[in-house]
Amino acid sequence: MADQTLPISAPLPDAEAQRATRLEWLHSWVVTVDHKKLGILYVVYALFFLLVAGAEAIAIRIQLAWPNLHFVSPEVYDELFTMHGTTMVFLVGMPILFGFANYLVPLMIGARDMAFPRLNAFSFWLTAFGGLLLYFSIVGGFGLYGMGNAPDVGWWAYAPLTAKAFTPGHNTDYWALALIVSGFGTLGTAINIIATVASMRCRGMTLMRMPLFVWLMLIVSVLTLVTITPLTAAQIMLLIDRYLGGHFFDAQAGGSPIVWMHFFWIFGHPEVYVLVLPAFAIANEVIPVFSRKAVFGYPAMVAASVGICFVSLTVWAHHMFTVGMTSVGNTFFVLSTMTVGIPTGIKIFNWLATMWGGRIRFATPMLFSTAFVFQFLLAGLTGIMLSVAPWDWQLHNSYFVIAHFHYVLVGAIVFCIFAAIYYWYPKVTGRMLSETLGKWHFWLFLIGFHITFDTMHFVGLLGMPRSIYTYEPDRGWNTLNLIISLGGFVQAIAVLLFAWNLIYSYLRGERAGADPWDAWTLEWSTPSPPPDYNFAVDPVVRSRRPLWDLKHPHDPDWKYEQ
Amino acid sequence: MAETQQHGAGQAGTGHAGNAHIHLPAPTAWPIVLAFGFTLVAAGLVTSAGVSLLGAVFMLAGCVGWFRQVLPVEQHEEVEVVEQPVVIASSRALVDRIVLSTTHRAHLPLETYPVTSGIKGGIAGGIVMIGPALLYGWIAQHSIWYPVNLLGGAGVAHWSNPSTADIAAFHWQGLIVATLIHSVTCLLVGLLYGAMLPMLPRHPVLLGGILAPVLWTGILHAFMGIINPALDARIQWGWFLVSQVTYGVVAGIVVARQGKVPTGQSLPFAARLGIEAPGLLLSRPDAGPPRGEDKD
Amino acid sequence: MSTVPLFVDETWQPPSRGRVGMFSLIVGESAIFTIFVVAYIYYIGRSTYGPTPQILDVPIFNSICLFSSSFTIVMAEHAIARGLLRRFAAWWAMTMLLGLEFLAGTAIEWRDLIYNRHFTIRTNLFGTTFYSLVGLHATHVVVGMIGLSLVMLFTLLGRVNQGHAARIQVLALYWHFVDAVWVVVFTVVYIVGR
Repeated sequence: MADQTLPISAPLPDAEAQRATRLEWLHSWVVTVDHKKLGILYVVYALFFLLVAGAEAIAIRIQLAWPNLHFVSPEVYDELFTMHGTTMVFLVGMPILFGFANYLVPLMIGARDMAFPRLNAFSFWLTAFGGLLLYFSIVGGFGLYGMGNAPDVGWWAYAPLTAKAFTPGHNTDYWALALIVSGFGTLGTAINIIATVASMRCRGMTLMRMPLFVWLMLIVSVLTLVTITPLTAAQIMLLIDRYLGGHFFDAQAGGSPIVWMHFFWIFGHPEVYVLVLPAFAIANEVIPVFSRKAVFGYPAMVAASVGICFVSLTVWAHHMFTVGMTSVGNTFFVLSTMTVGIPTGIKIFNWLATMWGGRIRFATPMLFSTAFVFQFLLAGLTGIMLSVAPWDWQLHNSYFVIAHFHYVLVGAIVFCIFAAIYYWYPKVTGRMLSETLGKWHFWLFLIGFHITFDTMHFVGLLGMPRSIYTYEPDRGWNTLNLIISLGGFVQAIAVLLFAWNLIYSYLRGERAGADPWDAWTLEWSTPSPPPDYNFAVDPVVRSRRPLWDLKHPHDPDWKYEQ
Repeated sequence: MAETQQHGAGQAGTGHAGNAHIHLPAPTAWPIVLAFGFTLVAAGLVTSAGVSLLGAVFMLAGCVGWFRQVLPVEQHEEVEVVEQPVVIASSRALVDRIVLSTTHRAHLPLETYPVTSGIKGGIAGGIVMIGPALLYGWIAQHSIWYPVNLLGGAGVAHWSNPSTADIAAFHWQGLIVATLIHSVTCLLVGLLYGAMLPMLPRHPVLLGGILAPVLWTGILHAFMGIINPALDARIQWGWFLVSQVTYGVVAGIVVARQGKVPTGQSLPFAARLGIEAPGLLLSRPDAGPPRGEDKD
Repeated sequence: MSTVPLFVDETWQPPSRGRVGMFSLIVGESAIFTIFVVAYIYYIGRSTYGPTPQILDVPIFNSICLFSSSFTIVMAEHAIARGLLRRFAAWWAMTMLLGLEFLAGTAIEWRDLIYNRHFTIRTNLFGTTFYSLVGLHATHVVVGMIGLSLVMLFTLLGRVNQGHAARIQVLALYWHFVDAVWVVVFTVVYIVGR
């Protein structure tokens, strides 16, 4: 994914001039305030870290493939799962989804740029430098022995393990500081998206005519505002404890490690929805276009999304059933967690109803979206199981939990990210991704995903705890762990195929044209890739599917919408 | 029918003419300088104060530069509009509407049994069901208290591994608990039955008498061995099924003898909410998309 | 929400992006303050040793200064909206003075606590929560003061005119937020917690 609007018109005479042009090209990316370029930067940055964190996951799986293996040392293993979690959530999930929002929201609402273009650039670079700071800890965060040391306290960084006495050195500080830096970047992007959606819509783009993608990104941004900030606050407290000798999480002085857990999960649970709502956003665009029908139940979808946003703020302590809350507390969080099932159920039925009776085309984006619907359903069902406090007492911190949330994060979110890249790559680069490679990618990834994460449920039920370095051979987990690891390799091959597809199709792919999927939202009315100014003429819309109205002037949507 | 339209880029609308220029925010390096400075300030905490100092300098420079970009007026660059014709058209000219036949919602019945009939059926079935259960106790163990204690054994607090004779004897706690469990379960199952009736309204006796007991017995049979193996060993599943079927058949007959009530499925939403207003029940032909063979 | 007009008319006027952005920032900042306030309230009386909140003096004059700065900044907003630049500068300077007084008052309070009573952020749990909550608010006042003084600078240089009223109102919004937060912090720290 790179820019197509380079000012290279003819082969340049000598190497000197070519170098100058290349520098100019690099410079144009560094100083850009264009939402499209920043969106591409976000996505490329996130894809890079996807490969990094994926490699960490593979290392974890090699370590766990056989009992009593010593592929990595226990210390490195702790660093691996900490960095895998932190990277995937903060450096892959959020940047890639904000990248899509950055690129697509202004195009979809008929705007020329984001509301605050410079803030947009600032936010991206904060996120990027935050990620680099986190990874600089490997060389910079020398711990006890003066060796390179990455954070190793888990991505949840529970107190009191993070206290100075138990984690000397600077690796935990790297973790907190890097996430504070990237957190401010995220906050900036969220503010920017809200302001863009509120203030930059083209004429006629009323709230109830916005594409559902835009709606969901708006909701995600609002959720981010009240979600990332508690983490920042808690991390500031952690730094006060570690640097200034504070006592926030120091039980001897009267502080409480449980408070850290509450603060972390007040961030941590809505964060899951910050990640999954953009996945819904993508499915909301892809499924109607490939079913050749307008999305079913648009107002219900909006209401359900807002509902998820609110309910998700009240469920955090279901991560803490084993801490020992009062039974009233337990009951409240059981019930509120189960309530999430209602709006998500509405969404699943609406997607099914959108597909029902449609002329479905199973192009690669649709394949990924279809798999998403069913996998997300399963992930939701295990979520309901875990929301039952006694069940959670039994399975807390087991691989069943790991399987559940990877079903959400991979089975729903990563599948939708792939769908989005296959769907919008033609718009961004002007070239189609190879369908043959795409189908190989889909099927390999699907098979690998199910081999790994379906099996993980069973080792969890058999009692394998998470975050363990290795295990004895007599526990009955040997074969299952080997299968899980093999599935991981199948997924890795699929992702490498995908990476190859991105590069190959950029150079050799079929020309896409403005509107390869025969879609209905405003971004497809611009050339591929869109010019710097997006729209030469300000668009005016009269319905939720402006391009449908133009393509079918005798049967436009605005006749039916209210 | 499809229409082809030529546009500069985007759609017809108000705004600029032909080959105008468009104001866009000018590219600027100050945001990255500020972000870098901020990161260095943070990094200084884990490296050395000098790094923070350097970061602060970067931040100051970034802020000043940024302010000069936007104050007093935002800097813009002029981007020339390049004519890029985009054809907005679809090869899919035929619009097909999903044809809904008039009987489309026929499986949602116009009238059904009221939910209360399910409760009545549950009560009646529960009373009659006592018969075969006691009969089983008398034939198999020569004691009518045997099935009562199996159900209510939880109420006999001091029991652990009771013998058959123990179970066959009379325990008043067991009787009370068994009566409670039996009546509550019968009521709840009856309620559930009543709630399901609108979905499967045609053969209440078949549904209640055969299908539900067989499913219920099957589920219990599958689970009881795991949940309570000791109890499982004492349950005669044939007799169990007989009493369940008795319950179901009686409940079904009672339900079938009740009158049906209209469901209100065909009424408009407002009317079903209980809003009474003139003109509410008239259909509005202009509302909603046209149906039938309306191909474009 | 379904009562949107079918045909777009000339009154298409989306809200100001500056105001929306500032409101969003305020929502996010409120979440940060909420976490600190919740921590403060939860930890009231839980210190296992050391001084208790009784050592605090209620900063009534300070608080009155900060609260009244909300009023003066409103007057300044009105002035710039009507193009009365001199009056605007006067009210704006007044606001800055009140803000400065608040910061100075906090500084004196802290100096007294640290040097005379040897009460610091590491003394005990109460010290940690007190200094971080009040300090977080003071940081926001400082940021607000920087914003105010930039506007003052440009006003003195004669670069501000009636056209900047909207931007100045956005900045004033932030100042109001800082004041409103002090209502909460003041209540929690000096009234409820003492």
